Amino acid sequence: MKKSNILLGLAGSLILISLVAWGYQIYNGLIVTNMRNSFSWGLYIATFAFFVGVAAGGLIVSSTVYLFNIEKLKPFTRIASLSAFASILGAGAMILPDMGRVDRIWNIFVYPNFRSPLVWDVIVISAYLLITFLSVYVQLLPDRKKEGSRFLNGWTKAHSQEEVEAFSKKWSKRIALVGLPVAILIHTVTALIFATQASRGWWNTAVLPPDFVSVAVASGTALVLVISLLAVGKEQFDQHKGAFQIMALIVAGSLVVHFFFVSVDLIIHGWWGSTEAEEILSLIFSHYGYLYATELMFPAFTMVLFFTEKGKRSYRALMIGSVLLFIGVFAHRLMLMFPAFNAIPLSLSIPGAGIESWAYPVALGQLQEGMPVFVSSWAYTPTLVEYGVTLLPFGLVLFVVTAALKMYNFLPQKRSM
Amino acid sequence: MRLGMVIDLDRCIGCRSCAVACKSHNAQPPGTWWNRVFTHGASFHQAAVGKDGALQMEYLPVSCQMCDNPACQKVCPSGATYTDERGVVLIDYERCIGCRYCIAACPYGVRQYNWEDPKKAKERAGYEKGYEYGYPADFRDKDGRLVYTPNRPVGVVEKCTFCAQYTSRGEQPACVKGCPGKVRIFGDLDDPSSEVSKLVRKRQTVRLKEELGTSPKVFYLAATKPIR
Ligand code: SF4
Ligand code: SF4
Repeated sequence: MKKSNILLGLAGSLILISLVAWGYQIYNGLIVTNMRNSFSWGLYIATFAFFVGVAAGGLIVSSTVYLFNIEKLKPFTRIASLSAFASILGAGAMILPDMGRVDRIWNIFVYPNFRSPLVWDVIVISAYLLITFLSVYVQLLPDRKKEGSRFLNGWTKAHSQEEVEAFSKKWSKRIALVGLPVAILIHTVTALIFATQASRGWWNTAVLPPDFVSVAVASGTALVLVISLLAVGKEQFDQHKGAFQIMALIVAGSLVVHFFFVSVDLIIHGWWGSTEAEEILSLIFSHYGYLYATELMFPAFTMVLFFTEKGKRSYRALMIGSVLLFIGVFAHRLMLMFPAFNAIPLSLSIPGAGIESWAYPVALGQLQEGMPVFVSSWAYTPTLVEYGVTLLPFGLVLFVVTAALKMYNFLPQKRSM
Repeated sequence: MRLGMVIDLDRCIGCRSCAVACKSHNAQPPGTWWNRVFTHGASFHQAAVGKDGALQMEYLPVSCQMCDNPACQKVCPSGATYTDERGVVLIDYERCIGCRYCIAACPYGVRQYNWEDPKKAKERAGYEKGYEYGYPADFRDKDGRLVYTPNRPVGVVEKCTFCAQYTSRGEQPACVKGCPGKVRIFGDLDDPSSEVSKLVRKRQTVRLKEELGTSPKVFYLAATKPIR
């Protein structure tokens, strides 16, 4: 009880800090970020992609229960749906501060351009938000009827508890099955925002969408795992061990698929040996080597850990593995930006001068003493304001999850639903 | 009508007059350049490049290539970027939501963002107070869409418009008028008797990053300097 109040307070202050930072940014313009014309998307979009990724878990876990009839996971379908709802809410919120004119956001709905992957993304993310909300709602119905809660619950008055239970059971299953393709779609479409752009060699590959799905299954399931571990606590860990093992296996298995995609992607980028590809490879392996190593090593460690007997069975190992995975996946999302924007698309060869690839400089969009006006690469590091604004989805997810866990019973004790 | 431009690199002296004319006629804020001129291969403009003592110095002006298959327009979620009936790719400054997807999509690095209010940017850069440059009035297309205004709203994207405010009444773009070498030829690619059409037909032309399939309407005549 007390712990949850502290967490709510923390979540509240994260949200508050981010709103203040966002307000400051709205007042001054995006000049307070370190993004510039040559590096036009940064931490915000990376964080957005991260939260879209972890939002997968919910419906992946719930639909595994129904598709493969895995009873052991059943007690966690509520937590799964909740984590999905919270994450997609966070993702949706993160995109707003990135818009320079958030006050005109309605233009997307009034004048949608259906050729834009961004419009598709708005559609599937809204659908997912609705589906995960409904999923949480129907699963909580029976409990809330018992408690006599009225809010959005009035219609159940005319029905018996048994009827409501049956309704909840039937619809949880239906929503999980409808939700699964939408869960896959949010990653596919988010990846397509990037993958469709032939101007950016780092993104422009058909392997990006399936890879997004595999990373999402891994990190989304890991989030469900972490929330479940925290909700269950060390004391009851043994009771649900079977479920945690299955989740660990889902994580590790999808990481195998992810590394497979990464390898073919690197081979295809590298094999032909074009100057553009070489530039990208040198960016990821030398310039951003540390970040790339984080992206590869941390999830690789988690994958191995979750395959070992010891790793699957220990509370601590599962926790550490998941957290390392989150760090790795976050690095992965950042690495979506760095190599893409620091390889200037307009690069030309001048054979007579022995130059194979010359990047045509881009105007930064800011004139300041000591800084060049035209650059061919930009050492982007987020500013303090950007970090502040980025707390928004973290605060929201923490708030929604803690508040929901506090208000409702998400772990049906020994009760089969 | 498909407006296009031919740029004769043989004649370009790298003086950047076009960039300056463009910047001032279109009231671009400090740090923003719709039109750039650089020396091929060099990290500084007007520096020669080469190997074994054989040096060369060629110039390459780049602004919006007015693609017939414009990635910027296809990604724009709100339809702020559009192609008008003359084939000119334009941005509606009242529609743009500032998502910057188009900046990521454009292969030519020509799209410029208003990271801050241009008035503030001018003040910060130390421009004289009250000094305003550029075409002074708003310009709207035939549907009333705002495609030119001297101080763009903060948070929107801007780029070359082929000087919509001038060319819509039959005048030439500022870069064409400002070029001392008569490097730039502007006209209707659909009209077979226009100078641009003739040049595209008769001379060998190059389009930038043609392999990406953007179909630019800006054509370059190579700097030939015949030696045999
Ligand atoms: S050059 Fe860039 S901004 Fe201009 S039309 Fe082509 S893609 Fe759009
Ligand atoms: S920044 Fe403006 S013009 Fe560019 S894609 Fe977004 S809404 Fe369209």
